[in-house]
Amino acid sequence: MSNDQEASISNIELNAQYTGSLGGAVIRHTLIFFVVMFIWEMANRTGFSNPLLLPRPTDIAASIWKIYVTQGNVWYHLWVTFQEAMLGCLIGSVIGIALAVAAVLSDSFRQFLKPYIIIVEATPRIALGPIFVTWFGFGMSSKVALAALVCFFAPFVNTITGLLGVQEESYELFRSLGATRRQVFWRLMIPTALPTMNAGLKLAVGSAFGGALVAEFISAQAGMGILMARYTMSLNMPSAFAGLLSITLYGFLLFRTMEVIDKRVLYWLDDDLMAKKSAKREIKYRQELGL
Amino acid sequence: MSDIGSDGVLAGVKELSPVQKTLAHGLVFLVLFGGWELGSRMGYVNELIMPAPTSIAYRLYEMFFVTGSIYWHYIITMYEATMGFIIGVSIGMGLAITAAISPVFRRYWAPYAVVFNVTPGIAVTPFIIAWFGFGWSSKIALAALVCFFPPFINTLTGLLNIDKDATELFRSLGSTKKQYFQKCQIPSALPIIIAGLKLAMTGALIGTIVAQFFSASEGVGILMQRFAFRLNMDGSFAALIVMSLMGLSLFTLMEYMDYKVLYWRRHSRMEEVSAKRKKQWLKQNGDMSQA
Repeated sequence: MSNDQEASISNIELNAQYTGSLGGAVIRHTLIFFVVMFIWEMANRTGFSNPLLLPRPTDIAASIWKIYVTQGNVWYHLWVTFQEAMLGCLIGSVIGIALAVAAVLSDSFRQFLKPYIIIVEATPRIALGPIFVTWFGFGMSSKVALAALVCFFAPFVNTITGLLGVQEESYELFRSLGATRRQVFWRLMIPTALPTMNAGLKLAVGSAFGGALVAEFISAQAGMGILMARYTMSLNMPSAFAGLLSITLYGFLLFRTMEVIDKRVLYWLDDDLMAKKSAKREIKYRQELGL
Repeated sequence: MSDIGSDGVLAGVKELSPVQKTLAHGLVFLVLFGGWELGSRMGYVNELIMPAPTSIAYRLYEMFFVTGSIYWHYIITMYEATMGFIIGVSIGMGLAITAAISPVFRRYWAPYAVVFNVTPGIAVTPFIIAWFGFGWSSKIALAALVCFFPPFINTLTGLLNIDKDATELFRSLGSTKKQYFQKCQIPSALPIIIAGLKLAMTGALIGTIVAQFFSASEGVGILMQRFAFRLNMDGSFAALIVMSLMGLSLFTLMEYMDYKVLYWRRHSRMEEVSAKRKKQWLKQNGDMSQA
């Protein structure tokens, strides 16, 4: 069972060399965006594409205004889905990381866990949706449970990989300096594993969202999933698109937040942050010693 | 890319003989499932929540051998997932190769790629159903949509992150652009491309099943949902196991492809392939040492 991971999206941005000025690039991007939107709008107005299937950009914009401002019904559903996804992500990550730590600390536990983990990995976990809805009912708990189940795996695998990836030389150094088991765990294993663990958590946040949405599709009273499902079922496509765009925006914000947290926690990977942190620690150290 | 259970990870564990290992695993399995069965029979576990393993096994037997009702659903689901996989992978890799070759395309596509990355693919389910209807095509479309991203991003990353020295060597030997692409870029990108394909396979299966949950008349997903909603939990667990089997077989298929295609990453396979090539070469050119 391998931990094959998706390459990061930021590689694209890194590799696209900006030749012109930044302002010029922004203008060109915006121009292309508006040309695409204009063609879409025109295709709709002239009847080349069916507005029932692909609504006009202007209609979508009007719907965004409607569901956010005039009707304002989207806030409640966003809040419900957000709660479900975050709670699920929290529970799933805690379980995943705890299992991983247990598996790393105890070799026999790891050996006996392995076949079950392979089965769990091969099962499309989202498929447990109907069973969870039957177990936990139509309310929020079934969504939280599915989100937790869907997202527990990435933190689990990444934590194991990270914790076991400590170099032999570092162990030897710690051992020769007489570190206790606890010190080895907290001062060596956890810091070494943190970058991988954070990558796992980033994946988990995204999939928790997916899990909550799918559970809502199966059966729910509130949430973005059921809102979009209702809109498309009544062929109110502009509003459904507005909902989808909210999810995109929301996913983007979460992704960025996770990246910022990532950078803060892993300060030693960034030179500037590292320098700032050391300066702070130096001041503290001097104060303590009264220098 | 690490294996949880690989030798590297398990190094330092006292080795059990294979027989002992099997016995130990079998014992753990028996205790787990025996306890579950006993709990079920004694009434500690509600049959409606967690059916006994034997009744699930009986259900599976019935599905496969008595009524044979599962085969049709199984074939349909596999067909939908595979078609979706093929379409999604072709689109993803096509886009990635275009983006790798043309920096202009890459620059203007990057923001849309970010948008695709942060939107959970399954959030689009209601739209896909509204556009493609209740039949097979909507499942194939969702599977393709859910699975197109990993091959895209992984192929692009692989094609762009070529070792500088290798590029220089190819240039100094006067290779054409085509040769560089075929002999340098593709082989060095293959491991990460295949990792992307593995993710895509799981994604395609998940997409198919979620689309079936949303609305379908045939397929393992809808079969399971029907069982669960009728509180026929042993049936829905049996369907879940069938899905695990699907995932497992697709996963094994991808692992086999990994083993065959990436022969240079395993020493034994590498030797096998070179022996074969040597034989072929000798056949074509004659044994020079004899001459």
